[in-house]
Amino acid sequence: MAAVRWRGQSTRQAQLQRVAAYCLAPATIVFLLLIAYPLASVLWDAAHYVNLTNPSVSGFAGFDNFTNVLGDERFWPDFWHTGLWTLVSVAGEYALGLASAIALAQPSWGRGVSRAVILIPWVIPIVVAGLTWTWMLTPDYGILNLWLVKAGLLAKPFYWLGGLNTALMTVAVVNIWRSFPFYTVCLLAALMAIPKEMIESAAIDGAGPIRRFFHITMPSIRVVSLTIIFIHVIATAINFDFIWVMTQGGPLNASETLPILIYRFALEDFDVGAASALATMTIGFMLAVFFVYWYGTRSRRAEAV
Amino acid sequence: MVIGGLERTTRVFTTYTILALFVAFCLFPFLWMIDTSLKPVAEVRSLNPSFWIVHPTLDNFRRVLADDNFPIYFRNSVIVAGGSTIFTLIVSTFCGYALSRFPRQRLTQAVGSALLVSQMIPGVLILAPIYIIMRRLGLLSTFEALILVYCAFAMPLCCFMLKGFFDTIPRELEEAAELDGCSRLGFIYRILIPLSAPGILANGIFCFVTAWNEFLFGYVLINDEARRTLTPGIMVFKGPHLTDWGALMAASVLAVVPVALFFVNLQRFLIDGLTAGAVKG
Amino acid sequence: MKRLKAILATTIAICCLSVAARAADPVTLHFWVAWDPQQADGIAAKKEIADYEKSHPGITIDVQNITYDALHNKLLTALAGGDAPDLSWGLPEWLGELSRMGALRDLTEDAKTWSDEKSIYPNVIDALSIDGHLMAMPHYLGIRALLVHQDMLTAAGVAAPPKSWDELIADAKAIKDKTGKFGFGIAGTGVRSPQELIMYLAQNGVSLAERQSDGKYKNTWLDDKAKLAKAAQVFAFYKSLSKDGAINPDGASWGWEEEDTNFGLGQYAMVIDGAWMQSREAQNPEAMKDVAISAPPYKAQPATFFEINPFYVYKAGKHPKETWDFVAFMNGKEFQSAVHPNNSPRSDVTSDSKWGNGFTALASTGVVFPPVALGAITREMIESLGRTLLKDEDPEAVAKWLAAAINKDLKQSGELSGG
Repeated sequence: MAAVRWRGQSTRQAQLQRVAAYCLAPATIVFLLLIAYPLASVLWDAAHYVNLTNPSVSGFAGFDNFTNVLGDERFWPDFWHTGLWTLVSVAGEYALGLASAIALAQPSWGRGVSRAVILIPWVIPIVVAGLTWTWMLTPDYGILNLWLVKAGLLAKPFYWLGGLNTALMTVAVVNIWRSFPFYTVCLLAALMAIPKEMIESAAIDGAGPIRRFFHITMPSIRVVSLTIIFIHVIATAINFDFIWVMTQGGPLNASETLPILIYRFALEDFDVGAASALATMTIGFMLAVFFVYWYGTRSRRAEAV
Repeated sequence: MVIGGLERTTRVFTTYTILALFVAFCLFPFLWMIDTSLKPVAEVRSLNPSFWIVHPTLDNFRRVLADDNFPIYFRNSVIVAGGSTIFTLIVSTFCGYALSRFPRQRLTQAVGSALLVSQMIPGVLILAPIYIIMRRLGLLSTFEALILVYCAFAMPLCCFMLKGFFDTIPRELEEAAELDGCSRLGFIYRILIPLSAPGILANGIFCFVTAWNEFLFGYVLINDEARRTLTPGIMVFKGPHLTDWGALMAASVLAVVPVALFFVNLQRFLIDGLTAGAVKG
Repeated sequence: MKRLKAILATTIAICCLSVAARAADPVTLHFWVAWDPQQADGIAAKKEIADYEKSHPGITIDVQNITYDALHNKLLTALAGGDAPDLSWGLPEWLGELSRMGALRDLTEDAKTWSDEKSIYPNVIDALSIDGHLMAMPHYLGIRALLVHQDMLTAAGVAAPPKSWDELIADAKAIKDKTGKFGFGIAGTGVRSPQELIMYLAQNGVSLAERQSDGKYKNTWLDDKAKLAKAAQVFAFYKSLSKDGAINPDGASWGWEEEDTNFGLGQYAMVIDGAWMQSREAQNPEAMKDVAISAPPYKAQPATFFEINPFYVYKAGKHPKETWDFVAFMNGKEFQSAVHPNNSPRSDVTSDSKWGNGFTALASTGVVFPPVALGAITREMIESLGRTLLKDEDPEAVAKWLAAAINKDLKQSGELSGG
C-alpha cells in the first residue's frame, strides 16, 4: 500500500515536472536564442582583449579589462550618477503612479478619458519625447522657460539641460513623466481588485482615510508595488535612450551613467573588452541589489509566519 | 454610506485637482506636438513660442504623407507590435503559470533566474551579437526578427507580472477543476486566463507599447525600407543639419493618436474585465 | 496535454520561422543615406538616383534612409556582424576608424581609370587618402566660414568683420554694449565642437596629432613647450570668449542645433558655420537676410575646418565595379550640379552666391582631422572644452590633459608612434 502510494506520488511528481517543463519551454527557447548567446559573448569578451580598431591586441586578458574600467576616472562618478538617476526616477515614478492611480480609482466625471490621457506620455516614442522636451526646455526658444519667466517663477531663462547640477535631474523628470503611466495601470488594476466591503467595514470601525490607506490599501498593493519597483530599478539603471537623446551624458559627463559609459567604451573607444567588463560588473551590481531585496523580504516573510 | 459628507467633499475636490494636474502634466508635451504640427515653418522657429497659431496649416502633414513610405511604416509597426504582443503573451502566460505553480522545481528556479539576469543586460551591448544571430538565422530585415527581439525584451517582465496575477488565484480552484475532469490546459484556458484578464491585458498593452516605440533595434535589424517601422521612419525628419520640427511632430502625431484612441476604448474593456473578475472572485 | 503540446509546437514553429531566400536581383547596390526626404538636396538626389537606375537597367539602388544620429551605430553593428552596405554616407571623422577596422575598400586602382579625377579639388583627394591609398570618395564640402548678421555689426559701429581673435572679442564687446545681444557663438558639445576646436588650434599653428617618421601618429604638445603654450592659448581664448561676454555662457553646453538655431533667430551676431545655414533663410527669412560671409578670424595663421564629407565604399560589398561606377556618377558633373550646386567637391561646379563661393574660396586654408580612429579623441576634445568653460580649469592644465589623453587613445588603437 505504502509502496503504491509512493509510486503514485512519484508519477504525479514526474508529471508535474513534465508540465512545468512544457510550460517553460517557449520562454527558455526565446532566452537561449536571443539572450544566452549575447550574454555569453559579453562574459567572454570581458575576459579578452577585443579592440575593433586595433587588431594587434587579442587573447586572454584575465582581469585587465576590469582593472582598466575601475581605473577610468569616469567610473565612480558614473556609478553614483546611475544610483542617483535610478533612485530619483523610480521614487518619482512610484509616487506619481500611486497618486494618479488613487485619483483614477475614485468615481469621477470623465474618468475614462483621464485614464486614457494619463497613458499618453507612455505611447510617445522615447526619442521623440526626448527631442520635444529638449526643445521645450531650451532657454532661448523653448516654451517652458518662456512661461516660467512670464509667470515670474524664473528671473531669466535657465538652461536646465546645460547645467552641471541640473542636467541629470532634468532628464530624470522627463523619464518620470514618460514612465509613471505604467505604474498607474498596474496599481490601478490592483486598487480596483480591493473589495469595496473591506474599505467600508473599516470605515464603519471608525478608520479615517489615512488609516484606511495604510492598513488596507497599501498591504493589498504591496506585491504589485514591489514587483514593478524592482523591475523598474533594473530597467532604469540600464536605461540608455533618454540620457543619450537629451544630453549624451553631458555637459562635462554630468549626466553620464554606466550604460552611457558602456556605449562610449564600445562605440567610441572601440574597446569591446572594457565595455563587456563594465556590463558584467553592472550585472553583478544588480544581482547584489536583487539578493539584498530577496533576503530582506525573506526574513520579513519568515517573521510574518 | 458610512463615509462622511465632509470627507467625501474633500475627496471629490482633491480627486479633481489631482486629476487636472496629471492631465495637464501628461498632455502638455503632446499638445505642443499637435500645435507644432499645425504651424507654418516661420512660427515653429520663433523666439516667442506660443500655443496660438497665426496661420494654421496642414502643410506639415502633407510633407509627411508625400513620402509614400509613411503608411507602410505604420502598417509594419502594427504587424510587429501586434505580433510581438501576441507571441509574448502566449510565451509568458505559460511561463508565468509555471513560475507561479511550481516555484520549488529546479527548472523553474533556473528559468526564473535566467529571466531575471536577462533584464540586466544593457541593450547597446547586445546589439551586435543579436545582429549576428539574426543574420545567421536569415532573419535580418524581417518582421520575425523584431517580433522575437521585442518578445525577448518584454518577456521577463510579463512573466513576473503574470506570475503575480496567477498567485492570487487560489490553488483550490485548480484542484477543484482537476477533480471535475478539467485538463491543465483547459484550466489555463477556461479559468486562469479569464480570471487574470486585467493582468494579461495590462501586460499586452505593455508589450504593444514597448514594441511600438522601440527605436534602436528597429533601425539596426531592418535594412529594407519596405519593412521599416514607425519610430525610425519618424526620425528621418531630424536631418543632418536641420530638424524639420513641423514634419517630425506631424509624423509623431500620426503615430501616437491612433494608439491613444485605441487606449480610450481599451480603458473601457479594462474596467469591464476588472468588474467581471471582481464578481467571479 | 496533447493540446498543450500542439500549442507548444506552434510557438516553436513561430520561433524558428525563417524567410525564403528572395529572388536574386541582377545587381542591387545597398546605399545608406541620412537625408531629410523633404529637403531640396534629398529630393534632387532621389531624382538623380531614379534616373541612374533608368539609364542602367539591371542595377537597382536600394536606398536606406536613416537619421544621422543612428547611422554610425547601425554601420558599426552591421560591420561587427560581418555585413555592410555597398556604400554609405558618413562623417569625415569616421575615416580613420573605419579604415583601421579594415572595412573600407581601397579605391586607388578604380580612381586611376577615372577621367574626372582632375575635376576634384586635389586637397580633397589627399584628405580622403591614407598612406597614398584612396579610402573614400568625396560627397560634399562643408567648409566653415564666419557668418555675420551685418545689421548687428552696423548697429555696433563695427565696419568690417573681425580678422583676428582680439578683434573678435573687441567687436563682440561692442555688439553686446550697443545691441544687448551676444557677439559670437560656439558649440561647446556635440559633433560640431571638436570641428571648431581643431580650427582654432590650426589658427594658432598646432595640430592634434602629427605623423611621425614611423608612419604612426603622436601628439607632441608635451614634448615641445612652445606648442603647449600655443595650445593653451586656444583654451585661454575660449575662456576669454566666455569671461569677456563675447558668447552666451550657455554656449558651453550648446550643440550644433542650438548654435545654428540661435544664429538663425538673430540671437547673436557672428558664428563659424557651414553653407547649410542657407536653409535657415527659408525658416527665418527676416533674421537671416542680413547675413554676410567672410573668412574666420585667426591668431597666427588663417585656417578653417575643411569638412570633406565622404561616401564610404565597403570591402564587404559584392559588386565593386558597379559600386564604383555609381559613386563616380555621384561625383559627376550632372549629379553634383543638381544636388550640391553650392558645395561640390568638383572645381567645375561652383556658384557665385555667397553660400557657394563665399565658402569654397576658403578651401586652401582648410584643415582636416588626422586619419586616425577619432571616437575617443573627439570626445576628449569636447571634455577639454567643458573643463575650460564649465569647470574653469587652467588653460595650460587642460592642454596637458588633452595631450596625454590623445596619446593614450592613439596607443589604445595601436596608432601611437613608438608605442
